[in-house]
Amino acid sequence: MSENAAPRPGDPGGGAENAEYRVAHLRDRLAAEELGELGVRAEVRAGAVVVTGTVPSAQCRETLLRTVHEELAGLAVHTDVVVAETASPDHAEDLS
Amino acid sequence: MIRVAAVGDIHMGPDSQGLLRPAFETLPECADLLLLAGDLTRHGTPEEARVVAQEVRGLPVPVVAVLGNHDHHDEQPEKVTGILQEAGVTVLEGEGTVVECGPVSVGIAGAKGFGGGFVGRSAGEFGEPLMKEFVRTTRRSADSLRGALEDVRARGCEVRVALTHFSPVADTLAGEPPEIYPFLGSYLLAEAIDTAGADLSVHGHAHAGTEHGMTAGGVRVRNVAQPVIRRAFNVYQLPTTD
Repeated sequence: MSENAAPRPGDPGGGAENAEYRVAHLRDRLAAEELGELGVRAEVRAGAVVVTGTVPSAQCRETLLRTVHEELAGLAVHTDVVVAETASPDHAEDLS
Repeated sequence: MIRVAAVGDIHMGPDSQGLLRPAFETLPECADLLLLAGDLTRHGTPEEARVVAQEVRGLPVPVVAVLGNHDHHDEQPEKVTGILQEAGVTVLEGEGTVVECGPVSVGIAGAKGFGGGFVGRSAGEFGEPLMKEFVRTTRRSADSLRGALEDVRARGCEVRVALTHFSPVADTLAGEPPEIYPFLGSYLLAEAIDTAGADLSVHGHAHAGTEHGMTAGGVRVRNVAQPVIRRAFNVYQLPTTD
């Protein structure tokens, strides 16, 4: 077997670089660290990781994106994360 | 007509002080009261609670809140509650309050709620003690919500609103992965609302959900999580007989 061969199923050490587990660890880290973020979705889609959601402030967005890129370094990552809107509503819903 | 403003999941921290205040200051023009549907903080720390308190302190409309799961994370919900109360917020957990809006008494019944899932896909009170406690926690919360709705009815409220953090229905979770619905709400809350009766049910928690839903008994449900409504709050107009 050459040195560059992919690990076979059942070989030890196959989990650390697995994208699915890395995404799971990212989610754990987002919840545990300063963001306390549970509302952002991160999922593996067509070979890339897609991170989507709404965060409460511009600073949270910066922290989130930095954490995502740190935790998923080396993986293709697409992000679509927006900051919550804070305008007053322009109309009410009539429930009569 | 009563105008109920509501928002949940504002997740305030030190960097968000002042973000919502300009919109909240427009409340007297468009609403009779403001409901906060939990997850007001990120980790439930006193520091974060003080940011929320400052954001709503002195508003000229009554503010009524329930806490969410984030507000429990630091395991100091009593302290968070105290800080909000000191700023004039009525914080409900399994109880009701009456807000007088001119000649109309509006009853708000509030409870955080909890998970368990929806009919046909729900957790049962069976097996390991932790599993039983999970479901019992939801059942106790739903029972307290029903009791609070009955209480405000007995106190003569013409308009009654159920305020929770977790969802009573699956309708307003549409957009979330179905696999996590059991962590987002429970049919026990809807059963409590339908049993006691209400004019509106308001909740948060499901950031990727949908605003509009309805209980099996026909009570309108609104998911007011800020990422869902995409505003500082939404306003719902409820009819009265006057």
